[in-house]
Amino acid sequence: MLDPDQGLRVLDCKATDHEYLHKDFHGALCYGIKYLDDHFGPEATTAYLRQVGRSYFAPLSQQLRDEGLAALEKHWREIFTKEGGAFSLEIQDGVLTLTVHNCPAIAHLKRINQLFTPRFCETTVVVNETVCGEAGYKCSCHYEPGEGRCVQKFWKEKE
Amino acid sequence: MISCTEFIPAYSELFKFLEAQGGKEAVVRFWEDLSDKFLTNLHDLTATKGLAGCFEYWSHSLTEEAADFRMTLDEKKGTFEIEMRHCPSRGRLNELKHIEPYEHYCEHCDVLYRRVLEPFGFKYNIDLSTCKDATCKLTVIQQPARGENE
Repeated sequence: MLDPDQGLRVLDCKATDHEYLHKDFHGALCYGIKYLDDHFGPEATTAYLRQVGRSYFAPLSQQLRDEGLAALEKHWREIFTKEGGAFSLEIQDGVLTLTVHNCPAIAHLKRINQLFTPRFCETTVVVNETVCGEAGYKCSCHYEPGEGRCVQKFWKEKE
Repeated sequence: MISCTEFIPAYSELFKFLEAQGGKEAVVRFWEDLSDKFLTNLHDLTATKGLAGCFEYWSHSLTEEAADFRMTLDEKKGTFEIEMRHCPSRGRLNELKHIEPYEHYCEHCDVLYRRVLEPFGFKYNIDLSTCKDATCKLTVIQQPARGENE
């Protein structure tokens, strides 16, 4: 910044100057879920989230098919670590369990007062179901809306 | 959880989904609603600090988004500019090989911010002519108060 006393301020940044982590995006997604629910109904919200699961997360489904539960474990470890969540991961008897003790998205939404809808966690439920379904896996997610805690389980569908 | 680092493709897919429901008008209505209900921080900063509030708002968001940009506030001239040399959102969408960005993706930056800033009497302009290359230029100008320069 230059000459703030003269009313002139400049900020010049390169992409490499900062880490890519803009948690306010959780608020925009949360508002998007509320908007779809309010204007098009919960079925439309589910359809949208399935679209996200089938399109953007297609490579994750492919990795799950190719590498098994280790691919999902790696995915969850990376994003929850990057966002500073409190979580644990365990694979036992063919079931991957992700226990989220403090969800970074919910924590941020509460901090900025933008938990627009208690249905925000449906993003996890529907996207997980879609990613797993595309790869021949099943999943479950138990949560209390807005609590920031959940238990997610993943396992291979019986052939 | 969809990570905030995965949000932009999900956002682009939301615009596609809305367009499939009700055409581009449905997308623009969503942008307008999002501007009114979500951008309250930009609104409040601008209300209290004027163009300096814009500088503060984008200093926060663009550094967290790891953008490549030059942002200039000249309070004497009454101008605020962002020269976006590489937009992290559009850049990420361009890098993805397995999904196409929403055709009018970058227009949300026109609708969302114009709707917040123009009611304060600012002249808002965003040059999106090269936005598909992840570059753009945003300008906000304090217009002379009525009676000035007459």
